Amino acid sequence: MSQIISSEQLLSLIRELLPTKNVIAPVQTDNGQIYFQTLKESDSPLLTEAMKAVNTIKEFFFPRHEVLYTFVRHGNDVDVIDSVPMEKEQVIFGCRPCEAASLPILDPLFAWDYQDRFFQIRREKTTVVTLACREADEHCFCSSVGGSPDNTSGSDVMLYDLGNGSFEVRVLTDKGKSLFAGKTSSSQETGSVCDTPVQKFDVDAVQNWLKDNFKNPFWDEMTYRCVGCGVCTYICPTCHCFDIVDEGSFQKGQRVKNWDSCQSALFTLHASGHNPRETQGQRQRQRIMHKFSVYPEKFDRLLCTGCGNCTRQCRTSLGIRPLLEAIQKKTEEN
Amino acid sequence: MEKQLRETAKKLLQEGTVQVVIGYGRVETGGIGAIFVTNPDNADNLVWNQECSQNLVTYLTRKEIRKLGKAAIVVKACDARAVVVLKNESQLENNDVVVIGVACPGILNHRGSGDPVLQARCETCTERLPKNVDFVIGDESVNLPPLSVEQRSRKGNYAKLAKLMAMTQEERFRFWKDEFSRCIRCYACRQSCPLCYCNQCVVDKNRPVRIDTSATLKGNFAWNILRAFHLAGRCIGCGACSEACPAGIELDLLNLTLSQVSELEFHHFSGQEPGTAPLIGTYSEGDKEDFIQ
Amino acid sequence: MALENNTDNHFEPKIIAFVCNWCTYLGADLAGTNRLEYPANIRIIRLPCTGRIDFNLIVKAFEVGADAVLVSGCHPGDCHYTAGNYHARRRWILFRELLNTLGIDTRRIHFSWISAAEGAKFQKFVTKIVEDTRALGPYTDYKQLMIDN
Repeated sequence: MSQIISSEQLLSLIRELLPTKNVIAPVQTDNGQIYFQTLKESDSPLLTEAMKAVNTIKEFFFPRHEVLYTFVRHGNDVDVIDSVPMEKEQVIFGCRPCEAASLPILDPLFAWDYQDRFFQIRREKTTVVTLACREADEHCFCSSVGGSPDNTSGSDVMLYDLGNGSFEVRVLTDKGKSLFAGKTSSSQETGSVCDTPVQKFDVDAVQNWLKDNFKNPFWDEMTYRCVGCGVCTYICPTCHCFDIVDEGSFQKGQRVKNWDSCQSALFTLHASGHNPRETQGQRQRQRIMHKFSVYPEKFDRLLCTGCGNCTRQCRTSLGIRPLLEAIQKKTEEN
Repeated sequence: MEKQLRETAKKLLQEGTVQVVIGYGRVETGGIGAIFVTNPDNADNLVWNQECSQNLVTYLTRKEIRKLGKAAIVVKACDARAVVVLKNESQLENNDVVVIGVACPGILNHRGSGDPVLQARCETCTERLPKNVDFVIGDESVNLPPLSVEQRSRKGNYAKLAKLMAMTQEERFRFWKDEFSRCIRCYACRQSCPLCYCNQCVVDKNRPVRIDTSATLKGNFAWNILRAFHLAGRCIGCGACSEACPAGIELDLLNLTLSQVSELEFHHFSGQEPGTAPLIGTYSEGDKEDFIQ
Repeated sequence: MALENNTDNHFEPKIIAFVCNWCTYLGADLAGTNRLEYPANIRIIRLPCTGRIDFNLIVKAFEVGADAVLVSGCHPGDCHYTAGNYHARRRWILFRELLNTLGIDTRRIHFSWISAAEGAKFQKFVTKIVEDTRALGPYTDYKQLMIDN
């Protein structure tokens, strides 16, 4: 016995939520791309198009630009006005399991040496309705990092596209329960997912190799073609580097938090002029090691969910998977 | 043509004329990407087809690549103009690089479903045999009869620009507001551009901050205006920026505006003639001033 | 004076003027010493030469809320640094086209050559710009960008 909901019912649930909550789903923009966006009344959400989306749901928990506080001077006094991270509640529809899985991965980081209320409040106020995958492409590698086409980690509800205009609804948490309460009907139909992507590399073997190969010329050789644009870091659901800057004038300004990228040439430039990571090979090495060595050591989980966005968007077809597959080959050679 | 390309590359490496050949190849994912051949035996990895979209000249100013030694580079007609501009701007000497030009029938767009179509920038390209190169692979049969300014304005990016300029000023502003609202300030445009080679871009300077680094409309307008203007009279129209932009912003139109002014107003065609002085670094007493009171 | 008397909050345009030290600034000064009145809506920023004007400054002027921008310097051939204004002129030709494509209101950007002896021209020109800008209204498009994130 399962619970199902039709597309029309799902869309009308979404419309009911619009007045009081931020509802996010994939939408087609004027230039023909698919984006996760906060829905307006006039938008038609494309619930099954998450794989083609150019952005990820990361930005609804960790925005690309966030005001931390505003300051206004009056003579010798200063008013400091804290920002409120998010007033309304938020519901995300139609993301992939690999994107939802990034949320529990990031939780310990934003609760580590500093309780980042900007992230935490958004997590508390958001319900994630994930769509289990009916298709995978050659860039997907969730299974190589412990994921799967219907991995429930980070999701409040898992929807399965039944292919006939309806979705099976599997409620996973209390938040999910209250969202879908009374909206579903019983059925005998159950959803299925696509085949699990073939395993592309063995994480243990890769992690062992990383321990001993810090100085391997592999890093430079594999990354000559990287131009250092950083798109991989921006559309990665788990990358989280940020830069805090002050903007404004003497009278009035804001302290803001913006996305930053470890792939940018000046990321580690010191005030002295020394740059410990001055080649792209060093920067790419750092990214891989952060995700597969350092983060697991600190927080006991990989900083990668195998979504494949990095390679999909990279103009020179680099990204995490090609690098790890190459490392896998190296471990097999020995 | 691939055979001739591979033989040329092999010979250059074997004779020690260059230490690396920068060209297109099949990368691990099966797609086309830049490859850096240092061993003559690997010269057969070089490919040439209508998917070879990237402008490889951007690698010539990257220090990781310069460390490899003297390079030979595979260029299409558009890319070859970038090399000329780099030489005109004293970033490269003639004997710093060996330029291998390949005759290009146009690059195809495969992204999305449906049949591949010619990229917008290729629709108005008629001189498809590279000029000012050291080796030429292919011949003039790839060239098309030149287009008049009027004919050109109805094709490719020129047509798109004409359509934009037919809108009212408010409509244009709204268009760019929409475009720049998607900008995430990843600087993929800057990184993939062969002519953005500053060691420290002005947007990276923070004492004082000249351009907000935030991905707000204010910062995004300022950044895109700045980059377009810094390319005035220099942009060679390779389209690498638009191609690299993950948000699909129509950067081509901004750069094309200035490149058109450069051609029509100043008869300056960037990258066509070695030894040409830069557009902004020079002036003429006859420059128009009908807009100056 | 005009701005302090703005008790009913009617629109008073804010004009920012980037002027060169050797010609237009002295021209403005001459207008002052000759007691030629011109509207107080104009804020003058003095630069050594129009050649120093980075187009970024013009963008910044709109960012901080200017309703119009004036850029003015020595006549061609009279530049204190010989060719600064020639370089500036070339840049202006290009920059106007770029701004036009972007849909930024080029009616609000004015260029002029005003020499140190042309106090009257400065007065007339500034007065005209203020009136024209008053008729155009506040430049809300760009100001709105600062508010819309």
